[in-house]
Amino acid sequence: MKRRMVALACASALVLAACGTKGGGSEEGAEGAGGVKAGVGVTDTEITLGVMTDQTGPFKNLSTGITHGNELWVKDFNAAGGVCGRKVKLEIVDHGYKADTAKTLYPQIEPKVLGFVQVVGSPIMAALGGDLEADQVTTTPASWSSELLGNPYVMIVGTTYDVEMIDGLSYLQEEGMIKDGDTIGHIYIDGEYGANGLRGSKAYAKEHNLKLREVKITSSDNDLTNIITGFKGQGVKAIALTTTPTQTGSAAAAAKALGLNVPILGNNPTFDPLLHDSPAAGALDNLYVVASSVPVAADIPKAKEVASKYKEAGFTEPPNAGVPYGYAVAEVWGAVLEKACENKDMTREGIHKALQETTSAQTGDLVAPLDFSKPGAPATRQVYVAKPDASVEGGMDYVKPLFEAEEAKAYKAPHEQ
Amino acid sequence: MSEASVTDRSTVEEPARAPVPASRRDIGWWARKAMWLALLIVLLALPLYLEAQWLKAGQYVMVGAVGAIGLTLLTGQAGQLSLGHAFFLLVGATSYTVLSAPTDEERVIGFGIDPALSLVGAVLITAVLGLAFAPVAARLRGIYLGVASLSLVFLGLYFGQAAEELTGGTSTGRSPATFELFGFPFSNEGDLEILNVPIRQTERVWYLFLALLVIAFLLARGAVKGRIGRSWRAVRDNEASAAVMGVGVGRTKAGVFAVSSAYAGLAGVMTVLWFDILKPDESEFGTYGINVSIAYLAMIIIGGLGSVPGALVGAFIVNGLPQALALYSTQAGWSTGTGEGAFTPILISSFVYGAAIILVVLFEPGGLAAIGRRIAGRLSGTQRGKETTQ
Repeated sequence: MKRRMVALACASALVLAACGTKGGGSEEGAEGAGGVKAGVGVTDTEITLGVMTDQTGPFKNLSTGITHGNELWVKDFNAAGGVCGRKVKLEIVDHGYKADTAKTLYPQIEPKVLGFVQVVGSPIMAALGGDLEADQVTTTPASWSSELLGNPYVMIVGTTYDVEMIDGLSYLQEEGMIKDGDTIGHIYIDGEYGANGLRGSKAYAKEHNLKLREVKITSSDNDLTNIITGFKGQGVKAIALTTTPTQTGSAAAAAKALGLNVPILGNNPTFDPLLHDSPAAGALDNLYVVASSVPVAADIPKAKEVASKYKEAGFTEPPNAGVPYGYAVAEVWGAVLEKACENKDMTREGIHKALQETTSAQTGDLVAPLDFSKPGAPATRQVYVAKPDASVEGGMDYVKPLFEAEEAKAYKAPHEQ
Repeated sequence: MSEASVTDRSTVEEPARAPVPASRRDIGWWARKAMWLALLIVLLALPLYLEAQWLKAGQYVMVGAVGAIGLTLLTGQAGQLSLGHAFFLLVGATSYTVLSAPTDEERVIGFGIDPALSLVGAVLITAVLGLAFAPVAARLRGIYLGVASLSLVFLGLYFGQAAEELTGGTSTGRSPATFELFGFPFSNEGDLEILNVPIRQTERVWYLFLALLVIAFLLARGAVKGRIGRSWRAVRDNEASAAVMGVGVGRTKAGVFAVSSAYAGLAGVMTVLWFDILKPDESEFGTYGINVSIAYLAMIIIGGLGSVPGALVGAFIVNGLPQALALYSTQAGWSTGTGEGAFTPILISSFVYGAAIILVVLFEPGGLAAIGRRIAGRLSGTQRGKETTQ
């Protein structure tokens, strides 16, 4: 019996040794159809773009919206004939917001795709950053931290959290809500998102001699009453938030209850239309949100078009801000692909070059015009300012169209050269 | 998890007799040795056949196996429940990164020590920290100790955020130095081929992890079989009678905490090498969070408390299964749509491992190790079912 086992074990080892090994490599830059150099993820008829998203984890809703936005664009783009005689196809994988799963899935999906149109999650981006750089894969993260721009292959569609903050504070100052030398409070979630927002408010405070009161929280702290009470005692003239929508609601409600009647400024992820149905609904009148991309029901022709296409497509989930953003990102990818096609170079290197030559990517105002020619710098420094308004579709009303503050123009992002 | 189940005598029993002299070693002993050898040969050959993503998943199982061996010694052999395992992973990860990083980085501290020495240093530092927790461990037992050690995870969360010069901060983290052994880099540098297979970073790291795992495994087996293991089990089963037999209870508890922490530290170093980055968690769930502590507990329960080979199997199920399912389903093209209610592999794997725990606890409290022992006993016809260590 035992001998049989031993024999079996040895035999299996021998069988393994007898099978062919996995040798062989991939070729890059072969001449393909239409005289175009084709690289990884490009055949004579198809271009494959990767999506590493979160369908089961904490960012399921937003990620699903972005994915649907990507899908809508692919349908439109292919209907219009694609690029270089090739159609675009998406390769979608779910990592459930787990960095370990993403790290394992990456070597599987990487040889199939030309670039990534979507990678969700800052832990995931951090884990894959080195790989993306080594494999020269141009990637759009679903995060707007300017720290990511240290990687030359990262393309951020929209402005970054730090620039949003600077633009927003300058708007408050312009409107006479704060002045030089005032005290302002900033509540931020420790991590990629919060730290980047704080970077912006620090830069602005230095310029204008503001006293900044920083309060660090984690994403699960949902009662900010104590912090707001502290702010009241310190006599803050404005509150900046780099938080989750739930936390925004808590901060706004606490300020209202305490009679702290100061403007509250939030980065783009701080607001969700669902806040209008929350207990904090009546307390949102002091909230200003800065963003470089539009909410799902914005009064812009392109946004309306995307919204109606979403309805037609028959997706079961209610649309969110991820949808127009996902569409806009893919639109920018379209512009880069066109450029690469002009250059007759559809390799990863060609895509990277094309990205740097993309100086005015237009997304029909879904996102401010983008310029990717300066490595390490945000592609735009323009933002909208919006106020919550339950009567408008999408729950937000613009109080100021796209603009760029002087301080934002002068601001040096962490990896800017 | 009650104290009773941690100190349940039925899970693992002491060796029924002294090790047999070589002359009387029966055929079963040789068969088992041959099985382990065959397994090792297969593991050595795998990088020549498997694609990079499968190797990556395999490496992750090895990381889990090293950590699980440490926890099974602590919880299974010595009866000390710990929920702080993830904290020691973070300590090991940070120590390695700080020790091995170049000295001239502007934002973070580095000592520029040789990576192999840094690895040893990181394991030692973690062991010392585990020892520092001993005064707490000596005074508490069972669930109380579990909750006390849980606080370490929150300490780790705070430390990861606050000590930016060491950890690189939650915003960006920091990159560890590439591992090198006597000048041989574990990266894509240089051309090395075996049987026409280019041996690049993934393959090299596979062999590195395999070597570390084999060392960790043999040391643990040796400890369990020897005097140390007996003192651990004595403390687990009854502290009073252990003291009567001359076992220093406090010292034994401190020692096993140090050993288990050292294992977690090594798993932490491996984690950093696997991710190519040290990034402290932004919340209590993450690479070094509560979820990881619980995953390690799940591994040793599924594998069988106190069983070293069981820890390997547990790691395979808890760390390997989600990865393998995700890879396999993508490969097989089980596209489940992109919308709500998409039944993705991630979801399936959480169900599988939840079910595995429930089934083990209900039907075989001794874990898979007990089933393995029963099968081995049936095959060899002897009373081997009584062995702790097989």
